[in-house]
Amino acid sequence: MEATFLLTLLITFLASFIGYELISKIPQTLHTPLMSGSNAISGITLIAAILIYPEVGESQLLKIIILIAIAFATLNIIGGFSVTGRILEMFKKND
Amino acid sequence: MIEIILLVSSVLFIFALKLFGRPSTAHRANTFAMLAMALAVFSAFNFDFSKYDSAFYITIVVSGLLGVLISKRVQMTQMPELVGLFNGFGGGASGAIAYVELSGSSLPISVVFVAIFSMGIGMFTFSGSLVAVMKLRGKLNNFNKKLADIFSVFFPLILVIPAVLEMDELLMEFIILVALIAGVIRVAVIGGADMPVVIAFLNSLSGIAAMSAGFIVNSIILIVAGALVGASGIILTLLMCSAMNRTLRDVLKGGFGTTTINNEYEKDPISTSPEDVAIQLSYAESVVIVPGYGMAVAQAQAAVKELTNTLKDKNIEVKFAIHPVAGRMPGHMNVLLAEVDIDYEDMFTLEDINSDFSSTDVVIVLGANDVVNPLARTDEDSPIYGMPILDVDLAKQVIVLKRSMSPGYAGIANPLFINDNAKMLFADAKEGLENIIKSFELV
Repeated sequence: MEATFLLTLLITFLASFIGYELISKIPQTLHTPLMSGSNAISGITLIAAILIYPEVGESQLLKIIILIAIAFATLNIIGGFSVTGRILEMFKKND
Repeated sequence: MIEIILLVSSVLFIFALKLFGRPSTAHRANTFAMLAMALAVFSAFNFDFSKYDSAFYITIVVSGLLGVLISKRVQMTQMPELVGLFNGFGGGASGAIAYVELSGSSLPISVVFVAIFSMGIGMFTFSGSLVAVMKLRGKLNNFNKKLADIFSVFFPLILVIPAVLEMDELLMEFIILVALIAGVIRVAVIGGADMPVVIAFLNSLSGIAAMSAGFIVNSIILIVAGALVGASGIILTLLMCSAMNRTLRDVLKGGFGTTTINNEYEKDPISTSPEDVAIQLSYAESVVIVPGYGMAVAQAQAAVKELTNTLKDKNIEVKFAIHPVAGRMPGHMNVLLAEVDIDYEDMFTLEDINSDFSSTDVVIVLGANDVVNPLARTDEDSPIYGMPILDVDLAKQVIVLKRSMSPGYAGIANPLFINDNAKMLFADAKEGLENIIKSFELV
């Protein structure tokens, strides 16, 4: 258990580091699509909702709250990627 | 099998970020990220789709369709609001998940702390983003800063209330309420022009909330993706802050530019007409256009493109100088210019173009103000002193297209407007440009 937790922390650190390194190099022109794209990725919290949904039990209130979370996260993901696609389309036609 | 899918998904996310780095590969980045997301979500079902009832599937389908619908209908100039709104949803979702886990199952104590953290950050992101959206839409402009200051002072006191009252029952609801109020107040006091920082910061927080949710449900992919978003948001936040020579703390404190000082001009500016501008431009060899928020407000991108074409047809070189914090989100101006097919090769950052101004014939400042204020270089007492600016005052001629002499966000006068080489064209950005274009036909 100890080792797994440490491993998870290590992964967290490495992921943050990779993110930091990669994104430091992105030019200003692409900051908006980057933000919009990474914003869509933050909707990945949908996974957590999917994982806990079958285990929530009888409570209707908690079930409704998860459904709201699912709606929010799905909106975030689908809407976010769709908007990012629209923004990037404008950069693409410049090529 | 699930592990392999998740591994592929993590690698795709990282590659997606890498591909976001160049305009020519960025559209592929989005495809990679979508694929990574699809794999990650798919894996969460663990090949057992029967565990989920119809309410679950209906929610996903309806909100997915709604997401597509909203994103297709929105105007490019409203992009900051939309990104802010989606961001708030992401944060709210993480917060809600943390709440459910805290009330439902018995979590190990270390995870309880992470869950409380996730819940607080998520709810803060949710309410903060919604307020940011309202601010971007021009509502909530005159929020009372005093109220926020009082709140900030009492904030630590509020946090000990549960301990004092020994309340266990509604503790989580209390934390949620405090986080929501904190989000509203924190963002409400921050002025519109600081929104690039706020939007990037909230973006980072939503990633951090998702990452913490990953710790609660023990999902590595969630942690990895959340950490990537958190890191990207932090970088943009710090970039935006350094572009204004201010600290994040100072920006979040709010109230910038509300005290109006030194707002008088020693002399009247020279105002000019669209006809004169057209003549001036037709004798120029090099022109630099400096777009600001005024261009977005007036929806003047199309007119900018038309003017650019007119000038290029006359073999005049046209470049765009874009300050990092111009507009309401990072890269806002670049997107608006890309929308009207202006080549990104013609868009220059502050570092790349500042040395060119002294050899530029005409600079057109289009609805920008503080980012071209020379006081940032000269006046140590000025609130913007030390902020990197576009040195347009060094150009041979400067034309400032602006509706009035009113100060910018910093609330200070801009001596550029009364410089000997500067002329004011008082107009809305779009109308002004259109009139200049019309005058070209007469030149």
